[in-house]
Amino acid sequence: MLAPLFALLFGPLPPARDFWTEFSVAIGYVGLAIMGLQFGLTARFRYVTDPWGEDVIYHFHRRISLVAVGLVIAHPIILFVVRPELLALLNSFQAPWRARFAALSTYSLVALVVMALWRTKLNIRYETWHLTHIVLAVVAIAAGVAHMVGWGFYLDAPWKRALWIGLTLFWIGLLMYVRIVKPFLMLRRPYRVVEVRKERGDTCTLVMRPDGHAGFRFSPGQFGWLTLWASPFRITGHPFSLSSSAAVEDGRVEMTIRNLGDFTARIPEVPVGQRVYLDGPYGAFTIDRNPADMHVLIAGGVGITPMMSIIRTLADRGDRRPVTLLYGSKDWESITFREELEAQQKRLDLTIVHVLAHPPAHWTGEKGFIDAALLKRHLPPPYADHEYFICGPDPMMDAIEQALRELDVPLAKYHSERYSFV
Amino acid sequence: MRRLFADRLVIATAVIVILLSVLFALLRTAG
Repeated sequence: MLAPLFALLFGPLPPARDFWTEFSVAIGYVGLAIMGLQFGLTARFRYVTDPWGEDVIYHFHRRISLVAVGLVIAHPIILFVVRPELLALLNSFQAPWRARFAALSTYSLVALVVMALWRTKLNIRYETWHLTHIVLAVVAIAAGVAHMVGWGFYLDAPWKRALWIGLTLFWIGLLMYVRIVKPFLMLRRPYRVVEVRKERGDTCTLVMRPDGHAGFRFSPGQFGWLTLWASPFRITGHPFSLSSSAAVEDGRVEMTIRNLGDFTARIPEVPVGQRVYLDGPYGAFTIDRNPADMHVLIAGGVGITPMMSIIRTLADRGDRRPVTLLYGSKDWESITFREELEAQQKRLDLTIVHVLAHPPAHWTGEKGFIDAALLKRHLPPPYADHEYFICGPDPMMDAIEQALRELDVPLAKYHSERYSFV
Repeated sequence: MRRLFADRLVIATAVIVILLSVLFALLRTAG
């Protein structure tokens, strides 16, 4: 991020200006470089995402992007304070192109941040937002570099111009890879829906088989991007956990999807035989990389789907290590996979604890929410010896991570995946 | 857990890039 900035110090340099002008120029360059890094972070390269998990990469992307935007916006503000005559450049009708590009880049960034932070409140459809996000990011980067080249103060040498233009082309090339090359490869590896299975809790399972290829192998707990009713070139991929057993040999995969009122509401209408595209597998949320003597699975609502893959896979592998599933649901009737979980207890050393937010009148089991006291009631000490896997709505995840801290479970022992990461 | 680490990494990155931008400006103005 900083190397392209300090590379500018090599070779003949123009006369230096005051400290604040030079500082503001430096943060402008660095801000743009950090923005360029985002194209690499979100390009779904496995060597980038696998060590951390895609939800954490996107979390980092959102936070570090705010730093980049802050630096880019601070650049003109500092200049306007120390050199008020530059305020005239805000008049886009009379300003030179190099200043117009700066304004275009900054306005694009502001629009990008506003839409990213308040997409739900602004009632913007996910697909519309995603396309706009990409366009604004490309405009911001390209206009930013055009501004730098146009100003030419540090980019007067051809090799310096080539460095920054080359970097920008590389960043945009990463985007092209994700949006053109990768979809082209996916087009040659389609899947067919072979079954649409209704589950409890307003949820449906799509069973998909590879069409003309071997499919992919995955680890239980991982997820994939599903493209339905569109070609992979359209920006319509949605991330869903794989809920089937990873021990299946024929490439068949299942995704269990709850109706959350958006794209997911149409899942029950998917016809058998429908061609779909899967990009995967992704994610660090898997038991295969975190071996343990005892697995504790904590699921909330549709967060059961990666847990189901873990349970089915352990059962298929004949694994006899103890597994405890703490499963929070709205009510008894909406417990997705309720019957199958009971059946899996015959194949596994599986203990199931249902926690109901709205229990029926006769209910004697756990109710309310999963907290430290509930964990103590159902898990054998020492708590730090188990490996914890948590998936569910954000408030539940926050509460359980807090509860595990109260039980002195080391950070390395719990693994979480937030399904609301995009 | 990893999100916490990611948050710390963001803060560390912000501090480092600002400090090195100060260094850049100092190197320039110090001649």
